[in-house]
Amino acid sequence: MAPLLEALSIGKTYPGGTVANDGANLSVSAGEVHAVVGENGAGKSTLMKILFGIEQPDRGEIRLDGKPVNFANPREAIDQGIGMVFQHFSLVPSFSVYENVVLGSEPRNGIRFDRNEAIARVRELSEKFRLAVDPLPPVGQLPVGQQQRVEILKALYRDAKILILDEPTAVLAPQEVEELFVAVRALVAQGRTVIFIAHKLPEVLEISDRITVMRGGKTVGSVNARDVTEDSLATMMVGREIALRVDRTKGRGDVACEVKALKLTAESGATIAQDLNLKVHAGEILGLVGVEGNGQAELLEAIAGLRPIADGVVYLNGTSLSPLSVLERREQGLASIPEDRIARGLATGATIAENLIATRLADKRFVRNGLLDLKAMKANALSLIERFSIRSGGPGYAVGTLSGGNMQKVVVARELSEQPKLLLVNQPTRGVDLGATQFIWKSLTDARDGGAAVLLSSADLSELLALSDRLVVFYRGKIVAAFVNSDDLTAETLGTYMLGLSSQDPETMRAALQ
Amino acid sequence: MIELLVTVFSATFFVTVIRTTTPLLFATLGGLISDLSGALNVALEGMMLIAALTAVIVSVYAPWYVAVLSGVAAGAMLGALMALFHLRFKADIILVGFAVNILATGGTVFALAQATGGDKGTSINLQSKAVPAVNLSFLEAIPLIGPTLKALLSGHSILSWLGVFMVFAVWYFLFRTPYGLWLRGVGEYPAAPEAAGIPVGKVRAWSLVASGALAGIGGAQLAMFNYIGFTRDMTSGRGFIALGAVLLGARHPVGAMLAALLFGIFEGLAVVMPNLFNWIPGEIIQTIPFVVTVLALILFSYRAQRALKTRAQARA
Repeated sequence: MAPLLEALSIGKTYPGGTVANDGANLSVSAGEVHAVVGENGAGKSTLMKILFGIEQPDRGEIRLDGKPVNFANPREAIDQGIGMVFQHFSLVPSFSVYENVVLGSEPRNGIRFDRNEAIARVRELSEKFRLAVDPLPPVGQLPVGQQQRVEILKALYRDAKILILDEPTAVLAPQEVEELFVAVRALVAQGRTVIFIAHKLPEVLEISDRITVMRGGKTVGSVNARDVTEDSLATMMVGREIALRVDRTKGRGDVACEVKALKLTAESGATIAQDLNLKVHAGEILGLVGVEGNGQAELLEAIAGLRPIADGVVYLNGTSLSPLSVLERREQGLASIPEDRIARGLATGATIAENLIATRLADKRFVRNGLLDLKAMKANALSLIERFSIRSGGPGYAVGTLSGGNMQKVVVARELSEQPKLLLVNQPTRGVDLGATQFIWKSLTDARDGGAAVLLSSADLSELLALSDRLVVFYRGKIVAAFVNSDDLTAETLGTYMLGLSSQDPETMRAALQ
Repeated sequence: MIELLVTVFSATFFVTVIRTTTPLLFATLGGLISDLSGALNVALEGMMLIAALTAVIVSVYAPWYVAVLSGVAAGAMLGALMALFHLRFKADIILVGFAVNILATGGTVFALAQATGGDKGTSINLQSKAVPAVNLSFLEAIPLIGPTLKALLSGHSILSWLGVFMVFAVWYFLFRTPYGLWLRGVGEYPAAPEAAGIPVGKVRAWSLVASGALAGIGGAQLAMFNYIGFTRDMTSGRGFIALGAVLLGARHPVGAMLAALLFGIFEGLAVVMPNLFNWIPGEIIQTIPFVVTVLALILFSYRAQRALKTRAQARA
């Protein structure tokens, strides 16, 4: 069958000199789910942006239905029947679902916006494609999974024949992923074509018909999903065998950090989390499980001192942290790898050397008589760049010029350059490629083996299951379940607790909380 | 005190309040539109001032409606100028706004001196025209309530009636037309309309133009009805009060009207009080509208925060 959409030897070099695509090929047939996989920086996103008209290729050709096409902007791509759902949704929070869906191509009645027509069209689409969502409530009040459906409806409303989904499962809980897959299958059954960007391989194998693997801006190959295994795909992606496996703790020490009856409230007074009781031992990793927004991130912020505590106490080796400032907490041996490396973890305009000492301005090694010791900073940076294999131009380069994985390594290097007693980690490998992920995981377990108590939060359940020694599940600001990690514990089990579908008996929970 | 109450509850005072409210109302609606599109228009003050002078000078040579339209055009052009600097040259909107305000304070005095042949204070020696008042004397014929109706409704500027209509028109535009949806979307989360192919920059630019045009009508009313003729700095902070009124009116046209009316009432009081309380220095009375603005904004933000809290608690 002739391919519906083809990209032929696409080349794209960004103004900064980054070669994003260099001979990328893609051939998608009508009515299939086509996954595009590859490490971060492999050029998947750039290729998709080119297909959707956000970027223009320097070389190569795009063919739609066999005819060469050229999209100057997304509008032209939309007009040709291509729709794209980004990882970051483009929805207006206060607008209702139907307003968001029709925004930009509203049904009209004279000069008037025809609301009833819009509502009817949205209802019809959501029934036809099994994307259940109420058209009336404001989008900002909906859970992430539903917001994503609104985005898909938006593309379908504009009559998209080809739908590009950019890492759609990254923000979803396992059950929501299942629902998304049901919708994707319904789309394909009705003759639409789905291009699916992902890097969680089990999902890719489950949903897609064909898989295109990219590496270093090139297409490595296209395969049928049923002909490959997870391992062979991973090898194709990275170009070498990698083991994403970590050893459990060899033995944990005494309780290092204890959270007692902690309550957190938002600025508005709304309760974010309550009755939080936790113990973390030295030399173990405690995984915080939960759909984003259920209080895990806020707990980490509160312990780090970035958010006020409404009630309760946090002890680190017997000292209450509450009266201490962030800097004083760090002196007690606390280290923190925050969720958003660009906003909170780094100063992107500052150099690598500067970022690496940003938390140690009281240290005599780097600051003497109120002046920075540039030589010591440079030496420190060189040794950490070496130790954490940060790929960069050198200590003097701005952090903002690094790739996501290397930026994260700078954060990890700064926080782990000295052995912490308590390490807070939130989304350590979000948007980080497999190679760097492997390295960061190793650094975290090294810190654990060095005696750190580690609190780890992640949206990626496989990461939590791989790293944690114990896990607690958050649902609506409460701990609803606790587990000692074992090979029997699955993402699906955790998922039922994350969505509040099952509950654990208090005895089991208490035992696993110790 | 009794005298004050008698004054306040008289039809004359009502007419005064409508007069003081009208320029504020237009400026507030202008501020509302640009605020909702995500561009805070701090230049309302300067736009009103320039429009006021333009209208006065044009009215010397042309009929009143041409003068008002030229005031509107002046405001709209300043809006377009702001859009050019903010959207094309990427200058900060607050700085651009203040540049317009500074240009207005100095520029109007200079232009006034040129037009009057040297007078830097007022346009008193220019034969400028006024916006006509709408005469509804026929209402008096209605039995019983006729005279009261006439006293309340007759004699307002034609622009005051336009103002009431504009509140409705702006509301209809914002909440009942696709373009209003675009404008609000652009203001709240520009990435969404952008992804839907809506020209975000263009929407903002037109909002600034509309904002300027509305402020321009306000300026024309001020110099062609509230006062006949131009005085330097005659807007005396009304543009900034309007910005406060936008927030106080909960960013809704009807709220904006009520907020403008509130400030209009206190400006009206500042007009009548000196005659009643001649022992209070006039300067203190003139600060009343501004003090009320500050108090109202404090009260409003306090109440908004409390409402947020109760709502959050109700949900939990």
